[in-house]
Formats: sequence, C-alpha cells, structure tokens
Amino acid sequence: MPSTLVEKILANAGGRECVQPGEVIWATPDLTTMPEVSYPAYVKRLADIGVDTLANPQRIVVAIDHETPAHSVAAAERNRLTRQLAVKMHVGHLFDGEGITHPLTVERGLVLPGMFVAGADTHTPGLGGVGALAMPFGIEVTMIMATGQIWLKVPETIRVRVHGTLPAGVSARDIVLHAMRVIGPDEANERVVEYSGDTIGQLSVPERMTISGLTVDMGADAGLVPADALTLAYLRDAGVPEPQMVRGDDDAHYAHTIDVDARALEPLVSIPPSPTHVRNATALDDIAIQHAYIGSCASGSLAELRAAAALLKGRKVHDGVQLLVIPATRRVHEQAMAEGVLGTLMAAGAQIAPSTCGPCFGGLAQLAPGDVRISTSTRNDPGRMGSADARIYLASALTVAASALAGHIADPRDYLQESAS
Amino acid sequence: MTSHLTATGRVWKLPDDVSSDALISANHVFDYDPRVLRKHLLHEVRPELAGEARAGDILVAGRRFAHGSQHSHPFIAMKEIGLGLLAVRLTRAPYRISVYMGVPFLEIAAAEYDAIEDGETLDVDYRAGIVRQIARGIETRVQPLAPFVLDIISAGGGLPFIRDKVRGDIQVR
Repeated sequence: MPSTLVEKILANAGGRECVQPGEVIWATPDLTTMPEVSYPAYVKRLADIGVDTLANPQRIVVAIDHETPAHSVAAAERNRLTRQLAVKMHVGHLFDGEGITHPLTVERGLVLPGMFVAGADTHTPGLGGVGALAMPFGIEVTMIMATGQIWLKVPETIRVRVHGTLPAGVSARDIVLHAMRVIGPDEANERVVEYSGDTIGQLSVPERMTISGLTVDMGADAGLVPADALTLAYLRDAGVPEPQMVRGDDDAHYAHTIDVDARALEPLVSIPPSPTHVRNATALDDIAIQHAYIGSCASGSLAELRAAAALLKGRKVHDGVQLLVIPATRRVHEQAMAEGVLGTLMAAGAQIAPSTCGPCFGGLAQLAPGDVRISTSTRNDPGRMGSADARIYLASALTVAASALAGHIADPRDYLQESAS
Repeated sequence: MTSHLTATGRVWKLPDDVSSDALISANHVFDYDPRVLRKHLLHEVRPELAGEARAGDILVAGRRFAHGSQHSHPFIAMKEIGLGLLAVRLTRAPYRISVYMGVPFLEIAAAEYDAIEDGETLDVDYRAGIVRQIARGIETRVQPLAPFVLDIISAGGGLPFIRDKVRGDIQVR
C-alpha cells in the first residue's frame, strides 16, 4: 500500500506496517519539546497524580526560551524551577537561553527526516523543515512525559507543489501566506500540508521551517518538506554523521494537490485579527506603523536577517519607527555578527536583542493602545503583543524592513528596484 | 443522569461558530477552578444555562464549536456541570481538549443537527454512538468515538487516564 511521508512516519511511530488516514493510533514520539513556561507546571500536574518519573527522559527537550532574559521575579522563579526540575527528572536536553526551541533543535541536529516529534508549543511544526512530522499537543505532552506515548488521528495529506523561480522581493513567508489564501480552515483541518516542487527545493532548511511552522496557522495539523540532498547536507553540517533520507511513495494518495506558480507570487501580509487574513502588501500602503520586528521561531533565521540587511544597507529606518531584530538562536546571532549583518542592521537604526521568543507572545517590547507593528512573528490576535487595542501585521523580513524604511506598510520590490538602479 | 458515557438530559442548542471566547470569556483565562468556571459558561450566549443546566444535559452545537483560542476552560466547566456535547464536526483542538478534559461527545451531521430542537430531551449513548429523541421516538446512529478515545474519556480525562495507565504498568511488572 503506497503511503505519504506522513503515513510512513506515523506507521513507524505507531509500530505498524502501515496506517490509514482517520485511524486513531498510539504513537511514540522520537522527541518531545516544551518551553519553560509549561514544563514546571506539567511536572507539578504529574506529581499531583502520583507520577514522578518520566517515561523516556532522554527524548525530552526543555528550552528556556520564552522568558529569557527573565523580565520579572515570577519569570526568574519559573526559569530556576525549570533548571532544577530538568536535572531532577533527567531530561535529555536542557537549553538555557540558547535560542528558540524549534530552530535550536534543528540546528543542533536533534531532528532528523522521518522523525515524529511532539511539542507543547503551537509552532512545533516548524521542525517539518527537515522532513520530520512535528505536531503541537499543548498540555497533552503530560501524557507523553508519563507514558512515552500519545494518541492521534492519522491525518490526510494535502500536497502543495511550487514551481518556478521566486521573483525578487518575494520569500518563503509569501509562499505559505499564499497557501493560506488557497486552503481554508475547514479544508486544512485534520490534514498535513506537504510542500514540494523545484521552488521549495531551492530553499534553505530555515526557509523551509518558516513554511512548515506557519502552516499550523491555516488550521492544519502540521506542514512539512520531504528531505532531499540539501537537507542531508544541512544535517551533516549540523553534526549528524549519516543522516538518512525518508520520503513518501510516488504513487501515494493525497487528499488533493495544489500547484503554485512561484513566478506569480507577490509580497503578502496577514492583517489583524488572524494570520489567515492575507492581503497584498501593495494594497496596504496607507497603514502607518510605529514598530517593526524581525525575529521569532518562524523568521529569526540567518536567511531572513541577511535579506533584511541587504535591503537596509546604507539606509535609515523612518523617523519614529522602532525596528527590533532578534536572531532566533545564539548561533544565528554569532553568525550574523561575524558576517557583518548585525552591523548593517544597527547602522540602519535597529535595536538587537538576545535570542528569545519575547515579542511574539507579548513577553518583551509590548505595544500600547493604538500602536501598529509589522512583524515576522507568528500570530496577530488582538492582545498578543500587549494592548488589545494595538494592531499587528505579519510579513516577511523583506516586507518588514521595507515598511520600517517607509513608515508605513510597503512593498519591498520598490526598494530592491532602487538598490539595483 | 449520567454515568460517564450514557446520559439523558435536555438539549441546549447552540448556533454555528460559537468561539472558545464566547463559551467562556478570555477574562477568566487565569482561573482554573471548575466551580468558578461553571458559573461563566456561555454567559454571553445563554445566560440562563449556568443556573439551569444539570448533569447529563447536552450541548448541541453547529460548525466550528470552540474555534479560536485553544483554552481548556470551557471544557473544564462542561466537565464540572456534567455536560456532554454533540457537534457538527469538531476541529482538532476542541476535539483533543474535550478528550483530555473527559467531556463525552459525538460528531453529528448537519441534517442531524437541524433535526434536534432546543429544550427537547435526548438519551445519548456516547460509547455506541446512539442518539434517541425521547418525545419523538427517533433513534439516530452516528460514528462512535474510537475505543482509545473512549478509554480516556471514561477514565475521566487525560490525567486520570495517565494515572491508571502508569499504575497498570506497575501492576503488570
């Protein structure tokens, strides 16, 4: 029976020959990740029912990423408790201020093609960028912590094939925002979106992670990009000695297939109150902004920082606009510093902060009522970044950088043309 | 009356698109006390429900029930009151939270939803997937939940299930 990549991964995780969409199975994750804002609370809930050991502690990743550096006494307490409980429960990996869980676990070579990964955090599907199936389970990771297993309904797979060269000014974020326009929430529900095609094949692993991670916001269980030679080369660089290719069967059954012509894509923006409310950047140039943010698990990558720096080089952000840049991990920060990317961004007027989820969930750089921010982060629900009366627009690093220059939402192609001429 | 997976009670019919925040306002997001949360359930949509609903009563919801925020609070309140749920397809998050909180539910078709009236009495067998409209003598069979999922709900939800499972493992050894 031919299987999609998702079905192969879940058959393996469920200890079966094959699985069918709609089946409910018990699966054993290869890795389970959770942030410090959840971990101590989950350990306590388990202790309350008499569970004080973890089933597979070596497969647990705990990252202090949401509230680092700590910005309140309560956060400092949570961080300290997380460190203590990570040691006490023998968790396999504790990352303490090293960066955001999803890019961090991938850059450290912990996530491999064909793995099934469970996470407490909503944007865990970013790990699909290396061809893993990574799904969010929230508080239900307590079940994995205690028993090593989680139940799930095997999802169908939607295939999105992207062909052709991306136009200048258009990037990975625009591909997934375009997919959100085409695939509605009812259609995405209980499905995984698999991205392929020559356009995807040319994207780096961090760019594939942007697409996989944001796919969850269209209402899908996850997104993923099957591994190819580029994935294996990335993993070898990350220190994995012999990474293996795991892919679906060519004749597998898909719920349906959507073909996208990359040459026709434009810079896109999610307008409040939902990431799925997608508009063309060019149609929003009357929206004034006071804040611009480049960072998060979705876009704090070297690819995004380089793109922003290339556009901002030799320019200054608009008077009255606060541009904040946060590399997603310490390694990205170091590389961006070594390459001069951070210097270029700072010369343009950007503030640089250490790696953290920070602004994405309102933990840092909060907004006041009436403020407008354009951001590369993941969600734009009212109140997500402070005041419920602030407005958040989501876009690629290029579109955020162009908007920071203009003082209003702007199409980056206008600035790229100026650079070229 | 309810015994985990069978119930007889009145219908509280809800329209399509009752969001998580409409079930319980996000103002109560830091409150996890079931006795407090039950007083706020559907306060904006059906203000009389909190005072009048009894264990065994059934929320009959349209499409996209509990969409939006992925909060467990509405389901904590439903569990505390003893409510079950019939809904026209649940999206992933409310489906999983309902199981984790131990709230029994069945997914029904739009035509079945249309045929049920607010205030009528239903006899629901969540395990077998049978909905009986008592006054009209109509019996409808729907897809029951998977056995795994029923095990978790009948244990009372995810945490009691974990406790039983871990204890069971210890006994086997």
